Amino acid sequence: MTFTQALLLALLQGVSELFPVSSLGHTILVPAVLHWTNIDRSAPSFLAFVVVLHLGTAVALVLFYRREWAAIVRALVVSVVRGRLSDDPEECVGWRLVVGTIPVGILGVALEHPVRQLFGSPAPAAAFLAINGLVMFLGEYLRRRVKRERPIESITYGQSVFVGFAQALALLPGISRSGASMVAGLLSGLDHENAARFSFLLATPVILAAALLEIPKLFAADAHVVLVQAIVGGIAAGIAAYFSVAFLTRYFRSNDLRPFGWYCLIVGIICFVLSRMGVIS
Amino acid sequence: MKPIALILALVFFVLGILYWMGTINFFTKSGAAHEHHTTHLIACWALALLCLIWARFQSNAPARR
Repeated sequence: MTFTQALLLALLQGVSELFPVSSLGHTILVPAVLHWTNIDRSAPSFLAFVVVLHLGTAVALVLFYRREWAAIVRALVVSVVRGRLSDDPEECVGWRLVVGTIPVGILGVALEHPVRQLFGSPAPAAAFLAINGLVMFLGEYLRRRVKRERPIESITYGQSVFVGFAQALALLPGISRSGASMVAGLLSGLDHENAARFSFLLATPVILAAALLEIPKLFAADAHVVLVQAIVGGIAAGIAAYFSVAFLTRYFRSNDLRPFGWYCLIVGIICFVLSRMGVIS
Repeated sequence: MKPIALILALVFFVLGILYWMGTINFFTKSGAAHEHHTTHLIACWALALLCLIWARFQSNAPARR
């Protein structure tokens, strides 16, 4: 892997992890489209590189929402010590995040490897990317039927689980974590701004835990080969993720998912046709 | 509900240990994928912890319904 490739993959990861366009799908499709045949996705050095990119993204998310996370963690600890639930907004959001994280935690641990082995090639990733676009259009259409627009703390625990299951769909390469969870949030009665906020808050422990669990891969025998690329890549992914989340939180104050839906649908169809024609593989 | 929460916590705790020892291999590659078993151990213990918190909340009357 060259330095330029590492930097491009890092920026791609940082941006696409938070934009509702599927980072996993893009990290499969972009190297395939650019014919980066020198990258072995199963090599220990590449896996170590990916771990650092995820760490960079997770750190950026924690930094961006540092005040909210501090308040949420404090409220959760107080709640457990007290042994009682209260109406404190931070506590309500915190327990909804905990409940929403359970489905993706269980399904991620159980199904991540078999799902990626089944669908980790360009054609399925492209097909799922197109489906991801359709899901966003469907979400926007169905949202209009949900009359209420309410804050995160007012959604039910059942709806939190629903959002969590939607987030777990991102195990499929091409389905966006933030896109699926935002659509589920919209259908639960959240507006775009709160659905995005809930989605990013929900993604933080998942991305961080996934990265931390993979840390042993950093100490694999060949991992040091990409040490410089990994460090630069991690920082680049973190910066890209920070600016992405800053942009998206502003964007969703007055805009919706449809532009991302069009992007996923068009790119997904083009990549699927190219992969069927054998142009990318 | 408190006894159920405590039983579930115990079940997840034991399940985690069994995964880590490689005694059970549901959703894992059996044998060699040891770090994957550690992931299952952590996931099971996280669920056990949540069950204990659930049991803790059952100990006191809820502030709201």
